[in-house]
Parts: sequence; structure tokens; C-alpha cells
Amino acid sequence: MDSKNYNTPKLPNWLASKFIDEMYLEEFFGDLEEIYEDRIQTIGKFKARFMYWFDVIHLLFGFNSIRLFKTQNNSTMMLKSMFKIAWRNAIRQKQFSVLNLLGLTLGITTSVIIGLYVYNQTTFDNFHEKGDRIYRVNQPAIWHNWDRQFASTGPNVAVALKEDAPEFEEVTRLLSQGTQTVRVISENQKVNVFSEPKFYGADGNLFDVFSFKFKAGSPLTALSEPRSLVITQETAERYFGYEEALGRTIDVKKSDGTWTSYKVTGILGNVPNKSHLQFDVLSSMSSYDSYLKPDEWKWIWTGFSTYGLVKEGTDIAALTKKIQAIPPKWAGVTTERIFNQTFDEYTAGKPWTLYLQPLEDLYLSTNPWFHRFGPNGDKQIIKVFSVVGVLVLILSGINFMNLSTARSTNRAKEVGIRKVLGSRRKSLIRQFMFESILFVSVSTIAALLLVQLSLDVFNNIAETQLALIPFLNNPVFISIVIAFILVLGVLAGSYPAFYLSSFNPIQTLKGKMSAGFKGKGVRNGLVIFQFSISIALIICTFFVQKQLQYTSSLDLGLDQNNVLQIHNIKQLDENDAVLKSKLEANPAIVSVGKSFSVPPFILEGERYKGSQPNAQVIDIGNMRTEGAYLDLIDLEFIEGRNFDKAISTDKYAVILNEAAVKALGWGTSENYISDSPIDKTVFQAFDEEREFEVIGVVKDFNFTSAHDQIGPLMILHMDNDQMWNFNRGSAFLSIRIASEVVKDAKGLQNLLEELENEMSQIDASILFEYSFLDQEFEDTFRYERRMGIILNMFTAMAMIIACLGLFGLAAFSAESRLKELGIRKVLGAKVSQLVYLFSTEFSKLILISVLLASPIAYFLVNSWLDDFPYRTAVEVWVFVVAAIGALLIAMLTTGFQSLKAAHKNPTETLKSE
Amino acid sequence: MKNKGLGEFEELVLLAVCILEGTAYGVAVKNEVEKHSNRTILLGAVHITLYRLQDKGLLTSEMGGNTEKRGDRRKRLFQTTQSGLLQLKASQDVRQKMWQLIPQLNSGI
Repeated sequence: MDSKNYNTPKLPNWLASKFIDEMYLEEFFGDLEEIYEDRIQTIGKFKARFMYWFDVIHLLFGFNSIRLFKTQNNSTMMLKSMFKIAWRNAIRQKQFSVLNLLGLTLGITTSVIIGLYVYNQTTFDNFHEKGDRIYRVNQPAIWHNWDRQFASTGPNVAVALKEDAPEFEEVTRLLSQGTQTVRVISENQKVNVFSEPKFYGADGNLFDVFSFKFKAGSPLTALSEPRSLVITQETAERYFGYEEALGRTIDVKKSDGTWTSYKVTGILGNVPNKSHLQFDVLSSMSSYDSYLKPDEWKWIWTGFSTYGLVKEGTDIAALTKKIQAIPPKWAGVTTERIFNQTFDEYTAGKPWTLYLQPLEDLYLSTNPWFHRFGPNGDKQIIKVFSVVGVLVLILSGINFMNLSTARSTNRAKEVGIRKVLGSRRKSLIRQFMFESILFVSVSTIAALLLVQLSLDVFNNIAETQLALIPFLNNPVFISIVIAFILVLGVLAGSYPAFYLSSFNPIQTLKGKMSAGFKGKGVRNGLVIFQFSISIALIICTFFVQKQLQYTSSLDLGLDQNNVLQIHNIKQLDENDAVLKSKLEANPAIVSVGKSFSVPPFILEGERYKGSQPNAQVIDIGNMRTEGAYLDLIDLEFIEGRNFDKAISTDKYAVILNEAAVKALGWGTSENYISDSPIDKTVFQAFDEEREFEVIGVVKDFNFTSAHDQIGPLMILHMDNDQMWNFNRGSAFLSIRIASEVVKDAKGLQNLLEELENEMSQIDASILFEYSFLDQEFEDTFRYERRMGIILNMFTAMAMIIACLGLFGLAAFSAESRLKELGIRKVLGAKVSQLVYLFSTEFSKLILISVLLASPIAYFLVNSWLDDFPYRTAVEVWVFVVAAIGALLIAMLTTGFQSLKAAHKNPTETLKSE
Repeated sequence: MKNKGLGEFEELVLLAVCILEGTAYGVAVKNEVEKHSNRTILLGAVHITLYRLQDKGLLTSEMGGNTEKRGDRRKRLFQTTQSGLLQLKASQDVRQKMWQLIPQLNSGI
């Protein structure tokens, strides 16, 4: 059996290695692993892990306690005595001790997890050796909004930078190739086909800029020859299994269906998770010279990410200023040849700025808001999480202090007796401090264990790969933990240590202790603070959920249900008609339509203008499809008609959405009666300025995602050969499935198998990939949904901690008022009156918290919702529900204590004085 | 060194080491004791006892014998010393003597 199949838990191993002599370690670990392996076989992994932990801790204590208790000098005796007293005190007030530890542990756990997440998100891309000199070149989003930055540029920007700015040591480019189909033939002649969405073209000097680790091949030359590929370790294993990958041949399918052979010239270690660039395959940019060279001058071919490595000591501000001369000089050709405008006419006063964005800012960048080569984080979420993390930590810290001080007032007598017996103030202070710090340490260690145990769940939800273990060796992390323990321990312990120890023993022993009273105002303030935070969090979380609910149930303007989209149709070429007619004959399928893009990914666009004089040039989104598809997704025609197969001129006709009509300056739907947009013409504002006739107007529908406002859209006939991109790009066949087939899981499965079969009969080399339209729309809110779940968990944590605190305080207050309640009872008060008396005290605090929290929450929610074009209403009932909820929770937590106290027999409480 | 006598668990462990004769290490001893006494024992307890016995001079040990399991780590193999055997014998004798003094057994009931 291969011993490497078993990974023993790391944290206990680390612990053991710290606390056990090195000479014993080898045999311990050997024995532990041996037992662990046996246990995995017999009782399963989970139990085996648990027992492993148990064994290690047992070993640790066994070894060290013997040593500790064997020594008998003054300081260890003292330590032992302090331990003993701390232990006795903890045991005497079990309820308090447990509440106190539990609250603090939960709080630390939550904030450590948040801390790990925030650290992970804010330290992306920190593994590149020359990282501090790498900048991405951004330009204005010329297709959308010139005020915002766009993460990719035209091909020539790199050339221009190299030529005009010697401050750059290297300039390198990445070109997104879209999803590529790859064919691999294994040593035993088995043919495997893969679909590669993360397949990018890269300049030969990419690895001079970025430090991705090579496993095989040379970083200097790997991408210099045409038809070279660099693949990651994981990809190599996927392609070749355990066979040697370097030097092998891989075929990549071209858009015309033929295959081009590439040679594997480099194997990379897997791309780190914390990289804003994520790829599986990189091909040498020189492989594309045949189509790249003729079009290289096009500054509007914005598919390239341009990265510059500046020379050491370069003044970035000066360099940025200097490179602003490049666009007017270089981009003029593009505007003149494509848009028939000079550079100045084209930009119309908006500066075509080139921005240099430092590498460390790329991942969390909000401007540009996305890039094509990997993930993009969300600064907003990081901020929210950081705030929540700190708040939860403060909450639990306050709780801890609150309960500790409340608890310690019971110990005034102990202080008195100790003093009478000759204890000095110093040793009293030391005892209280020791206890407090001990408590915090115990919770911290418990919290770290809890973090380790719950990280898997968190990673699953957040789709991250956080780990605690690496930090345990990190001196900064350790010092933060120790500093935290000391600060909180000292803060919480200072009240009893300095205040209680100052009492005159005669007074405390006589019972004239009013210490509890003084701290009351502070304690109430802290309760209000806690509950304000918790209630505000609850309200915010409520609205986050409400907004998510709202956007996912939004009327998209199209019927997204039961629509299946088959990808890779472009590769079928002429044969798509064969497939289509077969599908149409299938009884499970209601209708079929072909399109060159599908919502919510209709991202193409061009520049057009209306036919009227002095018409503005505007950007309009483009969708190329046929009439059947528009019927299939059930668009509503407000004016005019759909494409008609029988009318041959429809090939050059277009259908607009309302937003496009408005943007062209033709008014809104109310004045269509007097001034119908039908039969008007739209001009291309590029190439030969061909004109298209408008035959229909559809109601606005969502074609990107509910994140965005619906923009202007022009639906072109897919046979329109007067567009430069006629018949280019990827194509989809969309299918509306009969609803009874969808309802039955088996029926759907059968249909999918049938479709795959049909497709492979035509061409087996084409991958059968599909998606569901409704699913795609849902997925645009995937990130928000995930974060929503996490926020829910954290809010629940905050609420639990606050309740634990309140519960503890109520218990304390009930205990210290037992006599008062007893006297009241003797004098004739009913149980219900006592409970009322008791509850109102806390309810008042909660009500004040509600009043404080509501405006804060309202402000936060409002500013968050402002970012959404479609926002849910901020309704009062949410605040009311949150307030009532908080009150109820508070009532429940205090109610138990008050009932218990009120039911006590007064003879019991009053008998001893 | 003063003869302190053996604890019950110490005696079991020492016996197990004798039985295993040169192949006694943590896990093996644990299994052996579990097998004969029908109770579950923690590995840590075995280790600590083994070392205590070594401190008392009843066992010696050396490193050796790695296997394919346990991640290629060596074991610490324990052996009884002369005084260990004497100690066992002594405690056996004590028990034997006491057994013989139980009247019920002697009268054959």
C-alpha cells in the first residue's frame, strides 16, 4: 500500500512537533500514522481523524504534565495554585463560564475566518518576482462608457509602447481565443477531444514579465516559435495521464473545422489560485501571424490584455503622462479607415487615455470592472466583510468583558478574606489578570480549532481555498493572536484586578458591596451597542436577501424557461440545417432557432446613426439570429413584425428594441402612432455606411444580466452578409422543450442523450455542450448569492453572540436581585408582575437599540441598493419585523431567567443574611 | 535504585514487551495489551508507560525497523532488561504467595 495515500491531519502534527522532544517525534508520528491507517480502514476517515486528534492531545498532556507536576519550585507552585483557583471559580459558576467561553470562541472563529478571507482576497498576485514593476495598460471602454476603464486594448498598443516609451523593459500581450476545441492522441492511439475555455495566445516574453513556475521546458523560449503550447500540470495530466507531455503534439480546431498541430514546449506548475490570470493553455502569439499581422493596426480590436514591465526606478506618473501621446498618433488610422472619421471626430473630445494599473490592484479593481483572463474580486464585499468581522470581534469582546466584570462582583468576599489572610494587592491583581488571560487563551485556542474544522464548509460556499495551517508558522499571525489575547485579557481583567482588589476588606466582609451597581450604566450601554449592531446587521442581511430574490424573479422580458442551448454549432457548418431539421421532427421539442449569441451574453456592438440629418453616432448592441429564435424566446413586438422567411429582403432588415429607438432619437412607444420607427433606416457608422431598414420594434428585454440597465439593441438577420462579422463567431441552436418533458427528470436525460447522439452522428469530433437559458441568468447572480449566504451566517453569529451575552447578563441580574424579588413576593407581588418588572428592564435596552440601528441600517441599505438598476423597495415592515424579532429573542433569553427567579420560594432566598 | 514495585498497567505493558520479544513498539504493545485484557487503550498511555519503565531501568530501547506503513518512519523497539524480568518475577511471586494464603481456595471450596 502506498503510504502517501494517507494524509495525517496537519495541525496536530504541528502541535506535537512544537511540544514534544525531537528525539521522540519519529516514533510517535510513525505509530500515530500506523494506527490512523488502520482506523481509516475500520472506522472511516472522520472518526479516524478525530481519534488522531485525541491521541495527539493525550500524548501532549501526558508528556508535559508529568514534567510540570514533578518540579516543585516556587514559581510552578504559584502557577499551579493560580490554575487551581481559576479552575474552581470556573466550575463554581459553570453557566457563566460556558457562556463566556462560548461567546468569545464563536466571535473569534467568525472573525478569524473573515480575516483569512480578506487576507486571501487582498493579497492576490503577490508571487510574481517583479510584481512591483508590472502594470496593466487600460484604455477607456470605447464600446460602452468612455468614463470607465477597459482592461484590454488593441494589438498595436504594445507595439506603440515599445517604440515610443523606452521606460518599458518588456511589454507583453495576452489574447483571449474563446473556447477552443483540442484533440489529443495518446500513446496507444486513443483520440480524446477537450473543450478549453481558458486558452489564450501569449507573446513570447510573457514569462519575462510574470513568474509562473515551469516544471519542464524553458521559460525563455517556450513561446517563441509559432505553434508552440505551454500547458499547466493539471492540463497535461488531463491530456496525457502519466505519459510524458513535453514535446507532444496537440491539435487545435480552427473555425473552418480543420485542425492545426501544436507542439507542447513547456509544462507549468499549476497556476496559483491567488492569481488574477487563470489559464490552462497558452499558445505562442506568433502562431496567429497570418491573421494577426494584417489586422494589427486596428485599435478597436480590443481583445488583448497588455502588460508592461517598467524599468526599475521609473516615475509612473511621468510615464503615464508621456504615453498619452500614443493614441492620437497611432489610432488615427483606425478611425479613418473604419469609421471614416478623424481621430478627433471619433473621440469627440473624450480623451482616449491609456492608464497604467499596478499589478496589485488588478484583482480587486472596480474600474475596469472585469477582464477576460480570470477572476475579478469585489472590493465592496471585502469592505463589508472586514467591517462585519471587526464588529463581531468587538461584540464578543464586549460580551466577554461584560460577563467577566459582572461575574467578578461575586468575588468581593473572596478578596476580603484573601486580604485578611495577608494577601497583597499585587498578588490579587496577578490572580485576576491570570484568570482573565487564561480564559481568553482557552477560547482562542478553541476558536482556532473550530476555524480549522469549519473552513471546509466555508470554502465550499465561498468557492475559495483558505487554509489556517500555513499561518500557524507565521510570526505576524502568532504575534497578532498573542497581542489579542493579552489586550482582551487585560481589558476584561482590569476591572476586578484593579477595582476589586482596592477594597477595604472590612467593608466587603460586612457585605457593603455596591460594586455591581456602578458598572450597571456601562453594562447597559454595552448591551445597547451590541444589539444595535446585531439589529442593523439583521436588517441589512434581510435587504440583501430581498434584493437577490427580487432580481432572480425579475421579469426579463423574455421566456427563459425550458430553453436549452446547444453550443459549438458553428463547427457543424452547413450541416447545422441537417441537425435542425432532425430536432424539429423530435416530438419533445416545440421549436428550434439558431443565433450567433444568446442572452445573457449578448455583448457585441457596433456604431450606428439614424437617417435624419445631424444624427448622433451611437453604440448599439448587436444580435444576429433568425425569426424563429425571436419567437422561441417569446419577444413581444410593440410595432412592426418579425423576420419572415418568405420575404427575401428581410435579410437586410433589422429589428430594434425600445431603448435603441429612443437612443436613435426616434422617441418612445407613446409617439410610435404619430411617428412610427418602422420603415426608417439605420446607417452603419463604419466601413461603407450601409443602410438597414427597420421592420419591427420589440419591447425591451434583458440581454446581458439584471445587473445592467437594458441598453439599445439591434437584431440583425443572421444571413445579413453586409456586416463585417457575417457568419463569424460561435453559433447556438436554441430549443424550446415541451414542458412535460422537462418536468420528468428521466425525460430530460433521455432528450439530452438523444441530442448528443444526433450531433455525434453528424460529426463526432464536435463536443456536445449545452446550457439552460434560465440557469445562465441565475448564474449571473451566483457571486452575490454566495456572498449572501456567507453574510447570513455571519449575521447569525453576531446575533447568537449578542444573545449569549444578554442571557448571561440576565442570569447575573436575576441572581443579584433574588432578595429583592423575594421581598416583593412576600409583600404580595404576583409572578407575572415580577416577570414583567424584570423583562421591561431589558426590553427598554432593546428598544433603544432598534431606534439606533434603524437609521444606520437604512442608510447602508440605501447606498448599497443604489448600485443596482433594478432595486427592491426599502419597506418599513422589514424594520418592524427586525425590531419585533430582536425583542422576541431578547424576551426569550431573559424570560427564562426571570421566570426562574420569580418562581423561587422567598423563604429560600431570604433565609440567610 | 529502590525497588518500587509495578503498577497494574505497567505490569501489563511489561508483559506485552516480553511476549513480543524484540518487536515491541508503541502500536504493537497497544494491540497486544488490548488483545489480552479486552479493553481499549490510548496510544499515549502506552508511550508514557514505556518511557516510565525505561526510566526505571526495566526496559531498554533502540530505533529500527521501518515498514511501508507509517510513512517510512523508524520504530522505537523496546526490550526487557534483566532487572525488568526480575521485577516481573518478583511481582509474580508476591501474587503467588498471596494467592496461596487465600483460605477459601486452599480448603477447596
